[in-house]
Amino acid sequence: MKNKAQVVIIGGGVIGCAIAYELAKRKVKDIVLLEKNSLASGATGRCGAGVRQQWGTEMNLKLSIGSVKRFEILQEELEYPYDLEFEQTGYFMPAYTEKQVEQFKINIALQRQFGLDVQWVQPDEARSIVPIINTHGLLAATFHQKDGHLNPFHVNFAYARAAQRLGVDIHCHTKVLGISTEKDSIKKVSTDKGDIACEIVVNAAGGWSQSIGEMVGINIPTYSERHQILITEPYEPLFKPMVMSFYHNFYTQQEPNGAIIMGIGDPNEMKGYNMEHSLAFAKKCSSLVTRVLPPLKNARMIRQWSGLYNMSPDKTPIIGEASTLNGFYMACGFSGHGFMIAPMTSVLIAQMITKEELDIPEVKTKLDLDRFERGELFIEPSVV
Amino acid sequence: MRIQDHPIITYEKGKKVKFFFEGKEVEGYEDEPIAVALYARGYFELSKSLKYKRPRGIFCCIGNCSSCLMKVDDQLNVRTCTRQVREGMKVELQKWGK
Repeated sequence: MKNKAQVVIIGGGVIGCAIAYELAKRKVKDIVLLEKNSLASGATGRCGAGVRQQWGTEMNLKLSIGSVKRFEILQEELEYPYDLEFEQTGYFMPAYTEKQVEQFKINIALQRQFGLDVQWVQPDEARSIVPIINTHGLLAATFHQKDGHLNPFHVNFAYARAAQRLGVDIHCHTKVLGISTEKDSIKKVSTDKGDIACEIVVNAAGGWSQSIGEMVGINIPTYSERHQILITEPYEPLFKPMVMSFYHNFYTQQEPNGAIIMGIGDPNEMKGYNMEHSLAFAKKCSSLVTRVLPPLKNARMIRQWSGLYNMSPDKTPIIGEASTLNGFYMACGFSGHGFMIAPMTSVLIAQMITKEELDIPEVKTKLDLDRFERGELFIEPSVV
Repeated sequence: MRIQDHPIITYEKGKKVKFFFEGKEVEGYEDEPIAVALYARGYFELSKSLKYKRPRGIFCCIGNCSSCLMKVDDQLNVRTCTRQVREGMKVELQKWGK
């Protein structure tokens, strides 16, 4: 392993690998990526794989629209030999309360301003989009065809391979033990395989981002929270879009191979690193989802697993450089939607490091770490 | 050829009945597995492989391997190597996407 680098990236998930690639693409030399386990072994490889653009704030719209544009050309650009399985089969978001209907109306107006062709769906039209939906209690829904899903493993590996081709050193099974600083700059990163002298560190450690913060004495107010997910055996095509209900707090999607994946958020989930999975989840998730999509009641579940959301206090990521430590960049606290905005996040971090003009300049003042101290929480109305 | 013997399962063979395979009327014996009845009529392809959609036929014969999943009376993913033939039942190949 090199004992000196220009940039050390901590975390081999999609965020870390994408940042490595975007930096290398901008001619940054001597980039080292450290991953304590294997690539995509954390939240990336455990996620629901959905990509949506139906957000309720300008910031998230810009991040997600920019990311989808990248996803559309990613396989070509990264010269990846396999299909990234990007399918724009849409996101269907049902509303069950008057309050949700009002919120969706506000969202759709903003989304249309950004050029998204989001449809307003009446209950009697819902079945033309999701043929197996039970429309009982459904007041309205929004549907955007250009949302979709892609294979998170392939995306992660595609970025990693492209980065390696451009000279990035990726070290898996290498644990960061500490980061040494002097005054307001970084000196070196210590790992269980040796030390690396460097001045720039990117914290892309996902569920463990707060512990990386501790190493440099920065209090990152993120915490981790288990989210569970299950998958059925493959069925012939039953429905195409991701169905995401804020009311029931679930999302479900039929994957390209026919398997149906589904998850729910649990408001009582405790903070922490627990990644066990429970029968209670399987029962609750299947009963909620089959209420809305009744034909799935005969589907056989084959597997369940869980992963960590890295939650931030306002459920919006922290993207930027620390104000108290030069060269300490954070891309964390994605709160369950890191995969879908990884392309734009990585571009922005790379632009910050190389002092380029940012594609989304307001990220610097709105998604920085200090917003929590200033009390300027970023409120996104459309999160599960 | 009709499969008669199985190492661990005894194949019952009741009276001759008619059922439907892909809309066509076929004969089988009541209580024998659907897959066995189809195999005896020369229908070897019961499903498709997951990734490349290659033909799949009888394999494990104990309801385990998922090679014989078919739609039976509108129920999806029925293991036809263990589901028994009934008079008038509707058996169909499943329609996979791409």
